[in-house]
Amino acid sequence: MKEIVILSGKGGVGKSSLTAALAHLLTEKGTRLTLADTDVDAPNLHIVLEAEFDRSTSVTASDKAMIDYEKCSRCMRCVDACAFESIIGDKKPIIISYSCEGCGVCALVCPEEAVSIHPVENGKINFVTSGAVRVVAGELGIGESSSGRLVDIVKREARQEASLSGSDLLLTDGPPGIGCPVIAALKGSDYAILVTEPTPSALSDLQRITEVVRGVGIPAGAVLNRSDMDQKSASTTLDWLARNDVPLLGTIPYDPYLPKALARGALAVNMYPDAPSSLALRNLHKMVEGLFD
Amino acid sequence: MKLHPEIIKHFHSTTFTTPIIGVTGGKGGVGKSTVAVNLAAAFVAQGRRVALIDADVDAPNDSLLLGIPLENPEPVTIMQPIFDLEKCTDCRKCVKACQMNSLFRPQAKHITLMGECNGCEACYLVCPAEAINRGSHSVGTLYKSEQGKLTLYTGALQPGLAESALVVNAVRDAAFAEADQFDIILVDTAPGTHCNVISALKGADHVLAVTEPTPLGSHDLELILSLLEMFAMQRSVVINRSDLPGKKEKVQQAAQASSAPIAGEIKLDKDLLAGYLQGTPVVDLLPNSSAAKIFLKMADHLTATYPNRSKQASQGVS
Ligand code: SF4
Ligand code: SF4
Ligand code: SF4
Ligand code: SF4
Repeated sequence: MKEIVILSGKGGVGKSSLTAALAHLLTEKGTRLTLADTDVDAPNLHIVLEAEFDRSTSVTASDKAMIDYEKCSRCMRCVDACAFESIIGDKKPIIISYSCEGCGVCALVCPEEAVSIHPVENGKINFVTSGAVRVVAGELGIGESSSGRLVDIVKREARQEASLSGSDLLLTDGPPGIGCPVIAALKGSDYAILVTEPTPSALSDLQRITEVVRGVGIPAGAVLNRSDMDQKSASTTLDWLARNDVPLLGTIPYDPYLPKALARGALAVNMYPDAPSSLALRNLHKMVEGLFD
Repeated sequence: MKLHPEIIKHFHSTTFTTPIIGVTGGKGGVGKSTVAVNLAAAFVAQGRRVALIDADVDAPNDSLLLGIPLENPEPVTIMQPIFDLEKCTDCRKCVKACQMNSLFRPQAKHITLMGECNGCEACYLVCPAEAINRGSHSVGTLYKSEQGKLTLYTGALQPGLAESALVVNAVRDAAFAEADQFDIILVDTAPGTHCNVISALKGADHVLAVTEPTPLGSHDLELILSLLEMFAMQRSVVINRSDLPGKKEKVQQAAQASSAPIAGEIKLDKDLLAGYLQGTPVVDLLPNSSAAKIFLKMADHLTATYPNRSKQASQGVS
């Protein structure tokens, strides 16, 4: 089984729509596929895919400190010791659990042994299906931290799901950004598809994500979405890709059918198969098939 | 998540009176930064001194959208242990204390830092032999760039690291330390509903949640609004690309359910896109365009509502 991850350095360039369209085209041609949604802050692959909810399990993706006020002498040493500004209070220490990293320093400095570190449930793994495709999606609780660890768990579950169902390919919709969740999504992948669009901001995001992908040594290619949005920016991006040896896997023109389909909760490749973007996606899908054959 | 009232109070407390306006959105790509930079330009056009904090430290792009080069880089550093092997007794207490599992002692070798280190200092605290020195390690960069009445504070995470929270706090603190020099502070957050978004919005008097009328847009809007509710933040909604062939009702319903008024609607607009591509806010590029007028109106409304924080201090947390 091969693993491909789709990334963009920042959200909003059409990563989830592309993942969904590719998934549709690949399964149409007989590829057995499992999808992982690792955008745990805003998982919405299932919305784009109109997937059906299957089951859900809660996960403990982080540790948090807790104070036993019976034992606490209000010495406030823990407040000063926390490097993450996660304990406040003048007369009584209060832990701000959403930013607590569970590092245990407060417990170490506490003279009364009033602090303990506990694993807490702060996320979910949702299993959904869309036709023949199984989707494993992580969902971080609102206001929680440690998306990196949750992404690790999502990938682990998705791999298991993929091997159980005998998939040929695990396609991962990556988290936005360039931080630790992105590394977690990349780990163990065979190839990264970097989605971008012709704007100066998107190029800057592309440069940063390329640096990360190179850093972990995973081969990558790029897709230029909404390629006809701006001629000048498009050629700047294409130049940059060529100069930096990032192969261009395909370009997809801006297409008014896309938002039209999306508004109806459907895929353009399905609803408008002859639309310009659908035709471009069909070409891209061949490239992607070639990647894991 | 239920919050302790002390946490909410702490969250809203600041040491200055300059109003803070946050700009956020459940997901990336809905036009958050476009709104933030154009509002900044609109406040400047009104003659105000503006601080804009770009707290999307994974992908800080406000400088590109404003056409302001990043200046005055300062590293954001955290503590990182340096082992003094002369003093180390090989007791391995540090290995046990490190919750990140970043310390290893390979067979018949000495303690080494192998994994990610968040600078918590647990190892330093437990070492009985004083064999650990506090080194420092850079996790990102802060920039302060000025252009006329606008000062842009940007935080940029080192690619691949996990310390975005520390970089967010650092860029916010840098701007807050100079808050008295400004008439208004704007904060552009990361996408999502995680703790970095909260940290970025600390002290905000009002938060604009930017969204678009698509199924994804209304879904993400609901999430971000419940986060803002949890922290008792004043909030309103900005509908971007409001003429997309989507369902605006869903967005309106989500806003209403959270008592968040619609602060503005921005249409798909050639002028706006032109400003985006050229790195000049449309407010500066084409001040008479309809897109510019929307931002100027929003800025007027916000300054009328939040002239100064001290006036609302008596209201306390809403
Ligand atoms: S566990 Fe660490 S981060 Fe959490 S409150 Fe204690 S010292 Fe702070
Ligand atoms: S260090 Fe321990 S005893 Fe002191 S305030 Fe904190 S929890 Fe209470
Ligand atoms: S500072 Fe904290 S995370 Fe870093 S090595 Fe020491 S104990 Fe581990
Ligand atoms: S705690 Fe100090 S003395 Fe013990 S192994 Fe670690 S560095 Fe060496």
